[in-house]
Amino acid sequence: MQNITLKSKYDGRISVEAEIITPDNFSGKDAKEIGEMDLFMGNKTVKLKDIFEVSVEGSSENPEDTEIIIKGNTDRIKRIGEGMTSGKIVIEGDVDMHCGAMMRGGKIIVKGDADSWAGREMSGGELLIEGDAKNYIGGAYRGETYGMTGGKITVKGNVGAYLGEKMKDGEIVVEGDADMISGMEMLGGKIIIKGDAIMPGGEMKGGTVIVMGEVTDRMPTFKMDGMEIIEGIEFNRYTGDLSVRRAKGVLYMKG
Amino acid sequence: MSELLIKNGIVYDPLNDICGEKKDIFVRDGKIVEEVKKPEILDVNGLLVLPGGVEGHAHLSGSKVNAGRLMRPEDGRRGLRRKTAITMPESGYSVINVYGEGYRYARMGYTTMVEAAMPILTAIHTHEELRDIPILDKLSMTLFGFNWFVMDYIRKGEMDKLAAYVAWALKISKGYGIKIVNPSGGENWKWGKNVSSIDEPNISFGVSAREILSSLMEVNEILDLPHPIHVHCNRLGQPGNYDIAIDTMKISSGFETKREREPLHVTHIMFSSYGGEKWKDFESKTDEVTKEVNSNKNASIDLGQLMFGDTTTMTADGALEFALCKLTGSKWSNSDTEMETGGGITPQIYSPSMPINAIQWAIGLESALLVKNPYQVWLTTDHPNGAPFTTYPEVISLLMSKDRRKKEIERVNKVVQKRAILSSLDREYGWNEIATITRASQAKAYQLNDKGHIGVGADADIAVFNINPEEVDPSKDYEEVERAFSATKYTIKGGEIVVRDGEIVKVFPGKTLWTNAEFDGYYELIEDDLKDWFSKYYTVSLSNYGVSDVYLTNPEVIKTNPKIGGRIEVPAE
Repeated sequence: MQNITLKSKYDGRISVEAEIITPDNFSGKDAKEIGEMDLFMGNKTVKLKDIFEVSVEGSSENPEDTEIIIKGNTDRIKRIGEGMTSGKIVIEGDVDMHCGAMMRGGKIIVKGDADSWAGREMSGGELLIEGDAKNYIGGAYRGETYGMTGGKITVKGNVGAYLGEKMKDGEIVVEGDADMISGMEMLGGKIIIKGDAIMPGGEMKGGTVIVMGEVTDRMPTFKMDGMEIIEGIEFNRYTGDLSVRRAKGVLYMKG
Repeated sequence: MSELLIKNGIVYDPLNDICGEKKDIFVRDGKIVEEVKKPEILDVNGLLVLPGGVEGHAHLSGSKVNAGRLMRPEDGRRGLRRKTAITMPESGYSVINVYGEGYRYARMGYTTMVEAAMPILTAIHTHEELRDIPILDKLSMTLFGFNWFVMDYIRKGEMDKLAAYVAWALKISKGYGIKIVNPSGGENWKWGKNVSSIDEPNISFGVSAREILSSLMEVNEILDLPHPIHVHCNRLGQPGNYDIAIDTMKISSGFETKREREPLHVTHIMFSSYGGEKWKDFESKTDEVTKEVNSNKNASIDLGQLMFGDTTTMTADGALEFALCKLTGSKWSNSDTEMETGGGITPQIYSPSMPINAIQWAIGLESALLVKNPYQVWLTTDHPNGAPFTTYPEVISLLMSKDRRKKEIERVNKVVQKRAILSSLDREYGWNEIATITRASQAKAYQLNDKGHIGVGADADIAVFNINPEEVDPSKDYEEVERAFSATKYTIKGGEIVVRDGEIVKVFPGKTLWTNAEFDGYYELIEDDLKDWFSKYYTVSLSNYGVSDVYLTNPEVIKTNPKIGGRIEVPAE
């Protein structure tokens, strides 16, 4: 087991691209080696030790047994855990965009809020956000064909717009409310919103969206085709979005 | 005076009949010479030495390629490479940024490229991007297949005016030769339709593909253009189109030409060798198509090999792209270039488990293996339509090794064993044939006398690969072959070392070649027609049309001897 603690000493306003912070890159390395790794800050290259204080306990060649704890002010640190395959990252504060983007395995826990694109295009693993999250969570970055294709995202707070955009598989659970058009252009997988939602399922072609709270501005392009009881609550079942050809998306709403 | 001696390499130079000889090459001031005095010596003992590669057909610059870049930001995020002290950053996998195109070709030992489709109206854009492609020498093919002037002159039977128009258009677009895409059918696409055979007259003009092809082939000869007419066939990419490819090639049979090259080139044959009536009974008809190539000495082909993976398809054949996007549901863009041409773009993912893609993959390789004369074949992937050009090393290793093909056939959809004939083909390409289809064939077809060979007097464009052709058996060590062709030991362009051990070490702009086929009074012949249609229909005025010399880097004019009128003396540049 290897425990790596990164304590941020950064309070600048320019974002830092930290895609290097993954258990895959850190496992088996000591504090000095980790400190010497490069990060981008704006258009400059900086050393990881310029941004973080690094301390390492134990050692493991296997990323699976590697845990990274990130403390301090991290709200301008982007892309943490991008493409990670196993291991664990715990972020104690807020985190900037693209956290857990394209991750394939392992687990990330964000104890504060996450910015947009968290868990975008992820294909496996688990992302837990204990605070709020912004837009395009589990979505597809500009131009990409698919959003999330596997794994699980849980957000305990509220989320912004376009949750699970172009999502193909996997699961997203939001315990708070969701802003506009959750499940936009969704192709598969499952989104559960325990709070309220606005215009869910716009242009969805497949997959399932369940909204347990109130829905405002329902899309007119969904067709109701029955009732179902999920976890003891009665839901109306809608199919759509019928503005898209051959759409087979399923949307559950109350009333 | 810079001198270079490339010592003890094993040279394959098909145009000079040098086949695996251990030989020294002498370079002075960018040319191959007979001897040198105080050279820098590169000892490449036992390594494979070839002339610099010539890319015969790829889509690398211009409005269409750039639209592809804009449309696919996700592709731009792949293949990133940081800038260095001498190189600019690289991005993209199938739609690569201009710098990356130059560096990646150079790393693979290529030194000359052809942009395969340039509309006259957006020629400035094409040349602006060509200017930024480093290292390579550049040619671009001007589109004429369903140009209104061309169709109008053919309809009226005015061959002199047609010749004058082609000469004028090549000059004004700084193009190298005649490219024809979906002749006649492209006009119908403007009405949402297409043509189904080469004899079907099109809407508005009533001219058929056959008339356009034979007239432009005639004009090509009248103007003495260096390159054959370069044809993208009708009904490309649709099941059951192989007979159109054959009919198209037959047009050239018996045609007499003064130039030492075929008068007609059918491009990306992989997309034109399809049997069956629908996608359901889709099959390879390579045997029929290559039978025609083998019996018709007047036609050459390039492969347009498809390789599995993600790519972006783009062509002036808008109808084809629309059909493709309907098939895949992917994003799509279409454009209509006024009276000249059109175009479309859609991304594609070619999957080995998809029956259609697996057969398409086999067709490209079959075409290469079934054509007997390697000078009638060029290695291309129709970049980026079949695959990005960076897959050439893999294609080369497939052509050189039956074992590798066998292994791949087992991996792809089983339908390949029934509806394609690849598994029954035993031929394996040798080093000399690979040198031919990647360099010599193209140099001959484009009549680039200083390219594609390393005889005395040629441009010192040389590629040295980190592989010993006498020790490595390409049939068994195919992975070694792929590795060696992916990055050269040295690429030498114009006598300068530009790549060393797979890294770019020197960057400078290459040349731009274009064809000047003016003859006496050619402009007066068409002046009234141009002025009339420009004032009536075009969105630009005649005086703002075309490419001026400021857009070209190191322009080099190829002057021809038209058989019409008298030759105009063009002042040397």
